Amino acid sequence: MVAAAATLPTDDPHPETDGHRWGMVIDSDKCTGCQACVVACQSENNLALNEENRVIERRAKTWIRIERYWEGEWPNAKARFLPVLCQHCGNAPCETVCPVWATYHNPDGLNVQVYNRCIGTRFCANACPYSVRYFNFWEPEWPSPMDRQLNPDVTVRTKGIVEKCTFCIHRINRTKREADRDGRPVADGEVEPACVQACPTTALVFGDLNDSDSKVSELSNSKRAYSLLDALGTTPAITYLKKVDPSHVDEHEEHGH
Amino acid sequence: MLDAFRALLPRLSPKQLIVISGLGAVLGGGAIAPVILLVVLGAMGGTITGPPEQPIAFDHSVHVGKAGIACEFCHRGIPVVGNTATAMSAPVSAAATIPSVEQCMFCHAVVATDSPEVQKIRAAWETGTPIDWVRVHRLPDHVDFVHDPHIRALAETHPSFTTAQICATCHGDVASMTEVEQVRALNMGDCQGCHRENSAPLDCAVCHK
Repeated sequence: MVAAAATLPTDDPHPETDGHRWGMVIDSDKCTGCQACVVACQSENNLALNEENRVIERRAKTWIRIERYWEGEWPNAKARFLPVLCQHCGNAPCETVCPVWATYHNPDGLNVQVYNRCIGTRFCANACPYSVRYFNFWEPEWPSPMDRQLNPDVTVRTKGIVEKCTFCIHRINRTKREADRDGRPVADGEVEPACVQACPTTALVFGDLNDSDSKVSELSNSKRAYSLLDALGTTPAITYLKKVDPSHVDEHEEHGH
Repeated sequence: MLDAFRALLPRLSPKQLIVISGLGAVLGGGAIAPVILLVVLGAMGGTITGPPEQPIAFDHSVHVGKAGIACEFCHRGIPVVGNTATAMSAPVSAAATIPSVEQCMFCHAVVATDSPEVQKIRAAWETGTPIDWVRVHRLPDHVDFVHDPHIRALAETHPSFTTAQICATCHGDVASMTEVEQVRALNMGDCQGCHRENSAPLDCAVCHK
């Protein structure tokens, strides 16, 4: 299912890519909904703690959230988990609406947010079909001594701007620098965003989609692969793998596992 | 023409006219002065404030200029490049780092021990208190500056450069500075200008974090 808007200039999923197109594969069959990725992201990217009130107000910020769906009625209910983070769309709806070019597509195919350019119109957050852009309604605050464990590689965002998952771009940049210094290409699996690193079941896999031998390329060609809201034609960099349901295995002989 | 113009004005003596036009110029200038000041400050980068007062009168012109100590001998975060690098340098670090008191005492346990400034170092060393050096070069929090790729790029484009000459590209002629001060604006325009000249990446995410 590809969107019909073939005349858009950004229709090419990776227009300016020079070498890399970072992507992720999320295997919903492996995800147990443990939220380790959420915690890892929160601490890696200097996100303030979400108090109960913030959640009730629906203004809680987590760059990656585990969506939970119930299937069936209790006691035969099944929980389905879907980690949702910025999809780093090749054809991103958020990029075209920014009046100040604070969000743009970088040559690695990442959807980048330049915090000090953002003026907080929130157009991008409204345009995002995945609701993964978060507005800072308050200055971030941490209870002591947590304010002393902030990551120096990531800016502390101020009140009044939009922020979102960066695919841990500071880790990507650092790995690229180190590879450049050693005069070698970035190896597959060398870049690991905090969420990927923390996942205990390796449900999240990160890598270069332009490298046909990489693990993400291999997994994203799986028969279980699908994109979130595929019909919108946003060409996300994140591919989900469908859950394998044991009760359906007999009906579908091949489930691509 | 001038007579016709004079006819429009009230009957005033030339002296009165001079006083009035002088007053007008001062008031008009007062209104436009902040604008000019902002433009000039903006063009300057607005960050250069002259050398700050340091707790110890450390003289780079003595250490670098006269003694000829290499930059990376003290600033050990500077990566090893080219043929001038000493074996003392740490392999790599984002910041060049300010030397520790221990590092000063490496030489000053025996060198110039009678100087009052060196005695301040000795006092800090003996009491175990770090010296509160005032940082001269500071980029904003949203800038991800790493020395390593810049030094490597300069070493590649200027193979004849020594490490000191590479450092001088941004930090000025530190070897002749008694008090170190910032010489370049080091604002976004400054960075971008250099990146354009050397076809370095202009992608926002390369520097902005």
